[in-house]
Order: sequence, then C-alpha cells, then structure tokens
Amino acid sequence: MSDIQQELRKTARELLESGEVGYIIGWGKGRFANQTHPIFVKDPAKVDELVWDDYCLSTLAKYTQDDKYPEKKIGICVRGCDSRAVNRLIQDHQLKREDVYLIGIPCSGKLDPETNEPAKKCVECAHRNPVVYDVLLGSPVEEVPQPERFKEVEELEAMTPDERYNYWADVYDKCIRCYACRNVCPACNCRECYTDQYRVGWQGKQNNRAENQIFGITRAYHVGDRCIECGECQRVCPMGLPLMKLNRKMLKDINNLFGAYEAGLDTETKPALGHYETNDVEEFM
Amino acid sequence: MKLSKSKVNQALDMLAKEATVLVPMIVDGVSKFAPWGTEGKLALDIVNTLLPPKDALFPQTEKMYKYKVSAETAEVKEITDSDKQVVFGLRSCDMHSIDCMDAVFLTKGYVDNFYSRKRENLTTIAINCTKSNPTCFCDSMGVDPNNAASADMQLIDIGDAYVVEARTEKGKAVEALWQPLLEAGEGTATPISCELKLDMAGLPAKLRGMFESDIWDDGYQACIGCGTCTYICPTCYCFDINAENHGQEGVQFRCWDSCMFSEYTRMAGGHNPRPSKKERLRNRFMHKLAYFDERYNKNLCAGCGRCVVNCPVNIDITRFIEKVKEVPVNG
Amino acid sequence: MVEIERECSCEKNPLVPQVCQIVEITDETPDIKTFKVKTMEGTKPFAPKPGQLGMFSLIGIGEGMFSITAQGEDYLDFAIKKIGMLTDALHEVKPGKQIGLRGPYGNTFPTEGCKGKNMLFIGGGIGLAPVRSFIRYAFENRKDYGKIDIVYGSRTPADLCFKDDLFKNWPAMPDTEVHVTVDKGDENWNGHVGFVPAFVEELNFSPADTIVVLCGPPIMIKYCAQSLKKMGFADDQVVTTLEMRMKCGIGKCGRCNIGSKYVCLDGPVFTMAELADLPAEY
Repeated sequence: MSDIQQELRKTARELLESGEVGYIIGWGKGRFANQTHPIFVKDPAKVDELVWDDYCLSTLAKYTQDDKYPEKKIGICVRGCDSRAVNRLIQDHQLKREDVYLIGIPCSGKLDPETNEPAKKCVECAHRNPVVYDVLLGSPVEEVPQPERFKEVEELEAMTPDERYNYWADVYDKCIRCYACRNVCPACNCRECYTDQYRVGWQGKQNNRAENQIFGITRAYHVGDRCIECGECQRVCPMGLPLMKLNRKMLKDINNLFGAYEAGLDTETKPALGHYETNDVEEFM
Repeated sequence: MKLSKSKVNQALDMLAKEATVLVPMIVDGVSKFAPWGTEGKLALDIVNTLLPPKDALFPQTEKMYKYKVSAETAEVKEITDSDKQVVFGLRSCDMHSIDCMDAVFLTKGYVDNFYSRKRENLTTIAINCTKSNPTCFCDSMGVDPNNAASADMQLIDIGDAYVVEARTEKGKAVEALWQPLLEAGEGTATPISCELKLDMAGLPAKLRGMFESDIWDDGYQACIGCGTCTYICPTCYCFDINAENHGQEGVQFRCWDSCMFSEYTRMAGGHNPRPSKKERLRNRFMHKLAYFDERYNKNLCAGCGRCVVNCPVNIDITRFIEKVKEVPVNG
Repeated sequence: MVEIERECSCEKNPLVPQVCQIVEITDETPDIKTFKVKTMEGTKPFAPKPGQLGMFSLIGIGEGMFSITAQGEDYLDFAIKKIGMLTDALHEVKPGKQIGLRGPYGNTFPTEGCKGKNMLFIGGGIGLAPVRSFIRYAFENRKDYGKIDIVYGSRTPADLCFKDDLFKNWPAMPDTEVHVTVDKGDENWNGHVGFVPAFVEELNFSPADTIVVLCGPPIMIKYCAQSLKKMGFADDQVVTTLEMRMKCGIGKCGRCNIGSKYVCLDGPVFTMAELADLPAEY
C-alpha cells in the first residue's frame, strides 16, 4: 500500500504543480490509527498529507457537489465505488466529466475501524477497480464475484408480511434522522431534498416510526435504480441500520424485471427506471 | 454504606416500582439509556453509551400542546405530563451536560416549563469512571471523571460493590429506599484521568477573537452536513417547533434540530446568515468552546468523545482545539 | 444605552400561546396588511415596550416572530408583509379569526436613553413597522424629545406603508419633518425619487444631540450606516433592529444567535457600536 501512497503523492504533486487541477480530494490521517478523513489538498507542498491505508473508508465523489463550477479541474482519488459515484453524478447531470481528473486506485477493501475486520461494504463490493479514471496507480486487483448479492434480501422475502413489517418497524424506530445516509449518498443529489422543504410539509420533523419510515421509503424509491451499491449509507449510519437491504431489494426487483443491472458502471447504459422501452414488463400497470 | 454489585438488579427493581429507571443498556446492538425492564443487556461497564441520556429531559420529539381549530376559532391545551424518572449509571460527562441544559432551560430570563417539569421529576445517580476511552477528554473540559458533583447520588465503584453517596434530598430518598440492600462499608476508587489531554487555558477568549481567522477555511470541506454530531452529543440542545395536523386538530411539538442542517437558519424569503458548511461548522465549534462559556461560564463540550468516534468523516473537535492553540495570538 | 427588559404575558408557560382574535385588517400596500389583535375578552393581549416582538401563530400552520407596530388601550397592531408560507396564509384570513399570540419578547428601543435628544427615524419598506412603535411613543411623549425627522422609502408609491401617518398625521406634529422617497416613481408621484441612503445624505442631518433609529432591508441598513458615518454620526448614536429565523422567542432553541447573543432575547434592538463587537453573521 505504501507504494501506492507514494505514487499518489507524486501524482498529486505533479497535477497541482502543473496546474492541471485546482485541488485534490483524497484521504488524510486522523488522530487515531484507525481514522482517516477526506482532505482537500491545494498546495503541492502539502501532498504528503495524503494517505492510502486500510482505513480510507469515505467515498469522495459527492464532494464535487460543493463546487459545481470549479475554476480548474478537481482531482479526485477514485476506487471502484468512487468511480461509480462519479458516473452516477455525470449521468444525473450534476457533474461534467471534463471538470474532474480521476486518479484511479485499485482497492482490495478497507477495515472497519471498530472491529478491524474487513468493512462490510468492501466485502460486498463487486467492482474493486475504478470503472473510469484518467490515471491508474498500481495495477488492477482481482475482482471478487458476489453470488450472494441478494442473500439478505432473500432472507427478508422469506419472512411473512407481519414479520417483515416488524423488522422494518424496529429498524425505523431506531433511526434518529440525522440524514447522514442521504448526505453521503451520490444518488441523493437533489438541489433541495424534499425533507428540507419544511414549509411545504412533505416530511414531518417529529421523530416517530411513521415519519422515519416515510423518510426511509421515499429515499429508497428515489435512489432506486440509481444506487451504485457503495454501501456508504449503511457505513455512516450512527445507529447501524441495515439500509443496504432496502436498496438491494429495489435492485433485486429491477434485476428481475429488466434483466441484469448494475448502476454507475458507465454513463451510457440508461438506468432501468429512468427510461422506457416498448418491451418493458407491465405487470404493475 | 455500600451496595454490592450482586444487588444492583434488586436495587433497580426497587427504583422501577416508583419511577421509570433509565439505565445504560445495549438494546438491539445500540448502547443507550433504556428503561429498566427493556429487553437488552445492562451495560454498566462501558464507558460511554452511543446515545446520551439527554432525551430523559429533552426528548427528540416532545408534545407541547394540543389544539383544535375551525375556520374562525382556535383552542389550545397545554400538555403537562411528566413522570418520575431516574437516570442510573450516568457518567460525569453526561452529568455535566445536564448542568449545561439546566443553565439553558432554567436561567436567563425565562424558565422552560417543559424542561423544568421533567427536571424536577428526575433523580440522577452517577457512577465514577474506572477507565477511559482513548477518545475521552472530559478532564480537559473541567469535568472530573471520578466524581459528578451535581448528581443526586454518586456511586463509587470499589470493585465488587458501589459506595453510596447521597448528596441531595432526592439522593437520600433513594438511599432510604435501598436501605434493606445496603451494607456497612466504605472504600475509595483509584482516581483515573483521560489520556487525551487538551489545553483549554485561555481558549474560549482566544476563539472569540478568531471569528474571521483563516483557521475556518480548512477542514469544513469534509463535513457532510448531517446531524450525527449534534444528535449524539449530550449537550446539544437546539430545537425546532412544528405542528402535526390531523384535520381540525393537532399537536404542537418540539423536536431536536441541528445547526449543521442547511435550513436551520434559513429565513422566510430565502436569506441564510450561515449559508455554507464553513459558517455552520464554525458556529458549532464556537458555540461549544466560546459562545456558551461567554454566556453561561461553562464549556458546552463535555469531552465525552462521542462525536470524535461517530462522525462519518472523522471531523475531530480535539484536533481543532489543538489547531487553535497553535495559532499565534495575534494571528 | 439599550436596556433589556423581559416580561411574559403567558401566566404559566412562555412557549404556549394565548388564543386571541384578529378584530380588524387594514391593507397598507399590495403585500402588507396590518392586523389588529385583542384577547377573546376584548383586552390588550400584553403591554409591549417599543421595539418588542410578538410570536404570532396561525395555529396548526405556523408561528412567526413579528415586531409590534402599534398598541392602544385594548389592542396590538402587527403590520405583516407577505413573504412565506405563514404570511401567505395570514393574508387570506378574515377579521374574527382566532390566532395564537405569545410575548412580548426581546429588548426595547432606548426610549429612556433618547430623552432630550433629537430623533432621526429612518425606515425602508416593512422596516417602518418596528420603527413606528417608537415614533408613536415619541409623539405620545412629545415633550421628552427634540426635533423629530422621519425618513421613509419604499420601492414604489404603491408600496408606501402607513400612508395616513406619512402624509397626514406625522407632518402635522410639532417640530416634525417627514421625508418620503421611492425607488421608482409613477405618473402621480411628485415626491422624491431615489434610494434611502442617498436621500439621507442629501438631507444632510446634523449629528449633534441626535439619535438615529434605522430599520429596513439589510442592504439599506448597510449603506445608510455608511452615509451616517460620513455625516459624522458615531456608532453609538445609531440604533437598528436585526432579524433572524426564530422558533422559541425565549433564548433557548438556539438558531437566532449572533455570537453569544440571541436576537430574540438580547435583541432585536442593537446599537451599531454593539454590532461592531459581534460577528457579522446576520
């Protein structure tokens, strides 16, 4: 890993010194060994703050939404998940490809800082290599097939409706509505989320099962076919809610109805629910 | 007097006959203060619960009054429910945050009746810390992990038992209730201190002069603007007031709000005095470390480390404090 | 100079409104109406001091903090501009509507500290609403104050608020001058055309023994403050009011802070000298 870290710093320095990019979004080290945080490096003299280690968990592409009209290109470190998030934002017309310079980094997965076991989102990752990049550091790693992509969904589907209701009731009774899941999600890129349109009153601010479930369901449906399965929503949830089960239920149904589908692998394949074909199934019509 | 650890369950049972007793528990994977009797595991050995006990006094959603309206008329009826509650096993940091909330809700011109009713009905039973987490820094914030001075009762962990120190009338009432369980005996605990040390001397005053400092230009970018830090913080107390309508009647409620949310300060008409993450993060840190001290003479940070552990992007108030220290005084 | 005084009308709980009634609604401009409010018993809901605020609610729809424009023996007046969800709904109600009211909140204009001084009141748009409470107080206690100048401006002649006061009542008061301007005139407008800050400079007031009460949109306050400075007014001679989003009104809920001050409790009235000591975050 340290080789890649060195290469990353070298690449970053070159990109900043040449003026190719205005700044680089990568990871920096926190106080504790198991912590990193996203950093924004402008000064070539500070590229040594960039790290590449077992705890680089945060995805980075969403930060482009804070700088929609950059003066120069934004350099971003992209693994498989980050690169799919870039595609997500490009396809949703929230990011221009020419506004970013993608430093691709093949990734063999990160560690959960609490347990030091492989992070759940990384264990479930089907695309460890960036799917789009301008430069690739190191060489591609072997992809790990995910035959059990929908196993957790199948477990839910095996429940009776009452069991399933109780399961999700318990989940959303715990939700504190901090909106970390929404804010970290590259598919949640609305300029103004419906939850923040408090004057309209779509979403009550009170914390109770009904309001929490409305939030969870609305978000799951709105993300729908655009979920890139980065697992960040579940990772950042302070209450440890199994949010990817909901997203994967949507994806499983989409796969069943419209054929094999994964979001964000490129910008050309249209999202299954985002377009219409004459031979689409109509069982719900 | 002392309470044998083997009799804690009995002691909690006795309290639970008279009040809702909130104890640190792991319930469905989440550590929090849950009513004794909830299905879960009593967790008196963990340093800090993920969720602090603040919702005993300041629930995430609290009903204020019921109303009925028609095209012309309106009726309002205040909701005054308040049951007896005991928080058992809270740490000094969480007691400090109750002191902070007392200052906010009970002083400076107005008493908040919703809070004061709950506060009067609350008994606090603190337990000293026998170890600290690497992310604990309460003693740098003026909190003593060995002693929660303002608690109604302090329990001192002496290994197989707790020495019982009742400090207020409410505390003495608990001691009287427990009399059949208590044994003679004294003892002391070896005092602990936090490994993580921060130098807070002069920091609030210094920060007050740093509103325009370029220290704010770096670090906020990583913030994702979620409410995790504020919702798991024992001292954060900001709230919103809203109505839940059911046809011609409804309930006015207040609920936690977060200064990290973009719409928090946005006014009718659209103007927002804190338009970006930079201003919002600055306000949070300034409120914790400078503004509150100026108004109430306390740090609004209890040093519990919850936000340090749980921020999704590891924004770390302790590193910020060190950074402020490094800034030259006239810088 | 500014003395904070706090009182609350609610006998028990400052966060629970008393039900009051709108007894009269006056159209001031196309988007400003004045609502006259009494208790259900026909009395004054509470007795605010000039500059104080009231939390006005259409119960079930929303609450908003508004300045109290005027008061009489048995009523309070709120001049309210249509600007968002609550005020849109409020502009649709008819007299007789029962509403919620709590207050009074906040500090007051320095009516005592200004005694013996000449007064220069400057208002822009709906900003005349809070200033009007002090103007009326000054006229009720006319001998306590020196010369009174009132400068007021709005976008167009149709947007001028309190027209009876501006053109009839106030100019008739002793030792009083009213100066009105509009940003953009129309075919019937013979008065001054121009922005308020420039108008203030044109009128060239003397800072000697004079206190300014300045209220209006932030941009107007900013440029007026600059104009006044040029004319020799010191920061502690200029009093203004601030607006922030508010929910509780009693300094608890957190959102209206500027530094360690809460606008609902420590404000809304501040001198420019006090504002200079606070972060510029409003």
